[in-house]
Amino acid sequence: MFHWLERNPFFFAVGVFLVVAYAGVVTILPDFMESARPVVGTKPYSVLELAGRQIYIKDSCNACHSQLVRPFKSETDRYGMYSLSGEYAYDRPFLWGSKRTGPDLMRVGNYRTTDWHEYHMLNPKSVVPGSIMPAYKHMFKNNADIDTAYAEAYTVKTVFNVPYDKPDMPKLGTFDEAKKDAFEAAAVIVADMKSTEVKEAFKRGEIKEIVALVAYLNSLK
Amino acid sequence: MNWLNDNVNVLALMGAAAILILTIFVVGKYMRQMQNDKSSGELTKDNWDGIGEYKNPLPIGWALSFLGTIIWGLWYFLVGYPLNSYSQIGEYNEEVKSYNTHFESKFSNPDKTTLMGMGEGVFLVQCAPCHGVTGDGMNGKALNLSKWGNEDAVVATILNGAKGSDYPLGEMPAGLLDAESAKAVAAFMFKEISEVKNTKHPELIESGRALWATCAACHGDDGKGMAGSSPDLSTYGASKFVVNVLGMGKKGMIGNMPKFNDGRLTNVQKLAVGTYVNSLSK
Ligand code: HEC
Ligand code: HEC
Ligand code: HEC
Repeated sequence: MFHWLERNPFFFAVGVFLVVAYAGVVTILPDFMESARPVVGTKPYSVLELAGRQIYIKDSCNACHSQLVRPFKSETDRYGMYSLSGEYAYDRPFLWGSKRTGPDLMRVGNYRTTDWHEYHMLNPKSVVPGSIMPAYKHMFKNNADIDTAYAEAYTVKTVFNVPYDKPDMPKLGTFDEAKKDAFEAAAVIVADMKSTEVKEAFKRGEIKEIVALVAYLNSLK
Repeated sequence: MNWLNDNVNVLALMGAAAILILTIFVVGKYMRQMQNDKSSGELTKDNWDGIGEYKNPLPIGWALSFLGTIIWGLWYFLVGYPLNSYSQIGEYNEEVKSYNTHFESKFSNPDKTTLMGMGEGVFLVQCAPCHGVTGDGMNGKALNLSKWGNEDAVVATILNGAKGSDYPLGEMPAGLLDAESAKAVAAFMFKEISEVKNTKHPELIESGRALWATCAACHGDDGKGMAGSSPDLSTYGASKFVVNVLGMGKKGMIGNMPKFNDGRLTNVQKLAVGTYVNSLSK
């Protein structure tokens, strides 16, 4: 019946493609459309959190940390509720990670706090005696890049319609407004920190990397 | 280390040997075939660039498995998947449910040793990163639990005040009483208000009772915290107080303790860790 196909490599290839593609479309698309929508309550990152996220990427935290709680009891006991794909709707790029040298960080905001992160990032061994995580002392010296974070937020807002400035969603506004908001958010975190270096710098109008990173880690819930 | 003791290693080794023997056998068979076999049989009329094809019947085993796959495919497509659909979350829910039923029946009436053991386990996983493995707070990074939940801690609270759990009454001011009176109130509180019902300074109970009015203003005459306006001191020194702290969190003078209200700990586990925490200062 399909003998002629064997003599027509081109149509044969088309036929194979159609069969495989149909199977893919039927099985993948409906589920994908359903689950990739933002979960209710998921919000885009604020500018300060985005700055922290960029530091997270820059310092390759995702080389050792995943952000994906799998539906196993052993995981949900340690980290909390398993992850849903809609929770990553505003993650560009997502930071699922593929290796857990350290624990998962998907919900670390639920069980670690600003002061703890400060001790830990400065010297992980001071709180977890056997820790092999590197110290990130430079984060207390370098300034966070709020400008680039704003550029990122603005880009995803205009290009991908990320719902900034919508009702019940984070405000972005103009660069000056966003910068003011970032400083207000940073003030709360700096107040909870102990480092005089960071506090002094904040008074001079500088947001250190650690402040942005902690804002990001606290937002992971 | 004798690595043959590990049965995974033994299995892997046996598998490797089996694959090796099979390969030698199969390759040998085909080598011989290629050297000796002569082709025979009836040719089909197809001919591709001089290469012909014999009209051989399907090998019976192959045909049967092909048919079997088709039948299974139809069954799976029409019945197996729709009626019996597997979901990872479903399996997770079942796993959790069966674990929880087992947990509840096993620990419905835990005795003190069980609670202590469980509490230590929970503590080391959930609390040690902040309070330290021994609960000493690691040089003031978090509360030193070995000095908390006893009479001295009440004295310290009266002298230094308390804040951070967002009770409707807000903060407890520092220096409500001087050190001597605080000691007396603590003795009274431990003997008469708290479930501990025991004090190191029985001689101070009566003078403490007279001073209790200072505390009753916020904690109530019975010390029960006036329906949640302030902490329920009748549970102070016992695990229920800790359970309550876990539900409220605390952003106090030392630092910030997160809430544990996202279901990661069961009620029994909270009681257990409370028992363990209180044992640290005894
Ligand atoms: C070399 C691998 C490695 C890298 C890179 C790394 N970590 Fe870690 N991290 C660990 C390990 C191991 C632990 C567990 C021990 C500990 O708590 O210190 C850990 C623990 C943590 C924890 C505590 C989580 C918990 O549940 O207790 C946080 C938060 C964390 N890391 C954040 C970061 C951040 C932010 C970065 C990037 C700046 C980073 N880590 C980079 C290995 C790493
Ligand atoms: C102005 C109201 C007020 C008065 C008066 C008061 N307390 Fe408190 N007390 C509080 C509040 C509010 C808290 C909870 C603070 C927090 O953790 O947020 C508290 C907490 C405590 C705690 C728990 C501390 C801890 O470690 O969590 C103890 C013990 C205590 N009070 C004892 C006393 C005693 C004894 C007196 C009498 C001398 C007293 N309080 C008087 C309001 C008061
Ligand atoms: C992220 C760090 C952190 C974790 C995790 C943590 N704690 Fe705490 N905890 C603190 C800090 C900081 C304080 C001191 C708050 C203050 O008074 O400033 C505290 C205070 C407490 C108190 C005293 C509360 C009071 O009313 O005075 C208890 C009890 C306690 N923790 C028990 C626990 C238990 C049990 C766990 C584990 C299930 C735990 N904590 C996990 C940081 C932590």
